[in-house]
Amino acid sequence: MTDLAKTDLAKTDLAKTDLAMTELPVLVVGGGPAGVAAAVALAEAGLRVLLIEQRDRLGGAIHRQPAVGAPQIWRGPARHRRNWAELASRLEHVAERIELRTSTVFLGIDGAGRFLFDDRMAGRVFARPVRAAIVAVGAVEKIAPFEGWELPGVMSAGGAQVLLKETGRPPEGPIVVAGSGPLLLAVAAQLARAGNPPLAVLERGRPWHKPKALARLMTAGAPLAEAASYAAVLALKRVPCHVGSEVLGVSETGQGLTIRVRAGSAESLLQARHLLIHDGLEPNRAGIPLPAPGAEVPVLLAGDGREILGADAAILDGQRAASAVLSRLGHAASAAPLEAALSKARNFQLALAEALRSKATPPTPQTMLCRCEGRRYADFAALPADASAREIRLMGRFGLGACQGRFCGPMLAELRGEALPTANPPRWPLRPVSVAALANFSTDETES
Amino acid sequence: MARSPSLHVAVIGAGIVGAAAAHFLAAAGARVTLLDASGPAAGATGASDGAVSVASKKPGPMMDLARHARAFYGSCEADGLLRGLFHRRSTFLVARTRLEAELVAEHGADLAAAGERVLDVDRPTLLNRIPGLGDGVCFALEIPDDGHALGYEITQRLLQRSAVTVRRNAPVSEIVMRAGQAVGVTIRDELLPADAVLVAAGIGSVGLLGLGDILIPRKGQMVVTDRAAAGRPAIDGHLMAASYLAAKRGIVRDNAHIGLVIDPLVTGQFLIGGSREDHRADQATDAATISAILRDALDLYPPLRQRRVLRTFAGVRTASRDGLPIVGPHPHLGGVTIATGFEGDGICLGPFMGASAARMILGEAPGVDLSMLAPQRFSRAEALA
Repeated sequence: MTDLAKTDLAKTDLAKTDLAMTELPVLVVGGGPAGVAAAVALAEAGLRVLLIEQRDRLGGAIHRQPAVGAPQIWRGPARHRRNWAELASRLEHVAERIELRTSTVFLGIDGAGRFLFDDRMAGRVFARPVRAAIVAVGAVEKIAPFEGWELPGVMSAGGAQVLLKETGRPPEGPIVVAGSGPLLLAVAAQLARAGNPPLAVLERGRPWHKPKALARLMTAGAPLAEAASYAAVLALKRVPCHVGSEVLGVSETGQGLTIRVRAGSAESLLQARHLLIHDGLEPNRAGIPLPAPGAEVPVLLAGDGREILGADAAILDGQRAASAVLSRLGHAASAAPLEAALSKARNFQLALAEALRSKATPPTPQTMLCRCEGRRYADFAALPADASAREIRLMGRFGLGACQGRFCGPMLAELRGEALPTANPPRWPLRPVSVAALANFSTDETES
Repeated sequence: MARSPSLHVAVIGAGIVGAAAAHFLAAAGARVTLLDASGPAAGATGASDGAVSVASKKPGPMMDLARHARAFYGSCEADGLLRGLFHRRSTFLVARTRLEAELVAEHGADLAAAGERVLDVDRPTLLNRIPGLGDGVCFALEIPDDGHALGYEITQRLLQRSAVTVRRNAPVSEIVMRAGQAVGVTIRDELLPADAVLVAAGIGSVGLLGLGDILIPRKGQMVVTDRAAAGRPAIDGHLMAASYLAAKRGIVRDNAHIGLVIDPLVTGQFLIGGSREDHRADQATDAATISAILRDALDLYPPLRQRRVLRTFAGVRTASRDGLPIVGPHPHLGGVTIATGFEGDGICLGPFMGASAARMILGEAPGVDLSMLAPQRFSRAEALA
């Protein structure tokens, strides 16, 4: 009798808690392949989802659409479009369980445990209680700094690619694409298709010197076909692609840029209007708060924001993160053989990294590291080797600017040979937020 | 204690006070090891506004000490030690209600009585100086002789200009005593011998000296905006609301109270603060408090509407039970000197107090009477340590 009563009481309590908790959504930050895959998987399992995307529509960097009225110059590889169309149709079917907030930026978790968001359209910061979070905010580009990279006319290749997708127009005038990584080929081919083939593509790595890594890449299938299609476009448009070639510095001359290039022991000068630079990708982790394992509200990473594995793997990784959240919340999670596929993508990335592995020429003292605050390599070298996170920020003024270290952070980590010490507690806002919008925050109307 | 070239002083805490003490001890010929659990300016020094302000001080000894401390900044800037790091600038005390106006007027009278220049500013003059100031501002006073310095820059300069050994990541767990006299400090498993020890560890002093009943942490949350001007302060003075004076004068004691200051940094950014949260020693910031600070700041200075928040952060002030800093020899532990409890006034008082503590350790009298700050005052009521 007593036991039964206890059991009933326990059941009632459990039911109540369950009800309260199931009413809360799972947060998914980022509407690219990983985030949408995670949101769909969670919603298909019956959970409510709050999907946050900073842009005005879903798609992420890979499926960035032209702005209204701009021409679509190139739609990307067919398999990416098929994968995306399939995700979009699954999203349709479970749309009633997904609250999509576009033009909204995740600002982080505050000291009271609130998940904060900046509604850029309404100009208001709001908080929403969530039961778990998956952060899938993609990759950031790495740049190996050289003298003059901060000049107008120099921009990241990925940034140029986004502009190209959105405006449908390539930059005007001669372009040089330089650095390291497969994105150089992709961007150069897209520029060529859009009507302005680059003057040259300069890859610092020497893949032909790494036959073993190349052999591993040859088994890749789809990504290899994609690379071949870019190479074909570049060959057709007669764009010279040099390997073992690197930019040492750039200066402004008249209307354009003079680019100092080294290939082996030979140096030469190139004249161009634009220099697009890129040295690989790394997960966008700037300031993203990761509570300790076992925290009340778990936060998981997914997609390129967790590990750079590319767009195909990002979909699988989103599903993997959703499964992990489902099992954390006591739901049955599909045991799809995701790990094997992810491991294949990882092997491809490792082989690619090995094939292109090369050391950038160290920056000169005058080389800019932090554009926001105008801090150079000499300023960084002057900091004590055991400088704390606070000293690097306050005395070095690195990571204090408007980009909040998103750009200089990876450079400094590369130069130090270890990641920068992180601020503790994690800081918010993760992105600059309007004073007026943050002043509009009110605890009384957190449910927007 | 006789001055000896071989005197080795362990200074615990590399904030502005410890760095100043270490600098002046080394300048006088002592061998100095500056120890910090983290690194220079890791605590309140690196998480504060840069007001070197007499205008903000409570009437009485703090106002007088602040005048000495600000003059000390002036002389250090003139003799080159702090050249370029201390700037004169006005503080504007502003009121938005009649009650606040009475408070500002009373505070102005107290400042004038302490010998400080206090200027009346009518609204047209004020708007000329600070275009865009909120409609609600009904009364203001200008304190023209105040100044500005960044705590972490001062700390860095003081250490650059001396032969002090700085040890980062060196938490001191114990002061080692022998026959009533300090003989060194323990850092993890290491004993660092020392002839004298200065404890300038802010809230970290609590654990080291058992000052839990005397020192309390008081957290302050702050905001930094993007630049409103390139490489110069965006407005011609430091805005200090009556709400800040009310907190400093002890009229309001409430963890939800915002004592508003808008500090125009030399970078063109604004630093806006802040909360005064007693018994909070964490460095987290929360949206409720930060948004309350910003609402009040927008009311006082609406042009902030065009700015973006780059960072929020919190610093932990170390306040003493009676509101005065604790500076002087430990009443029972020979060779141990204390310099802490500066609450929110450490940037203003730090270099002067560090120099004063250095003189005490060297057996010299400080330049001004600091007897009211002696740790001894607490040992009458209870055993200290």
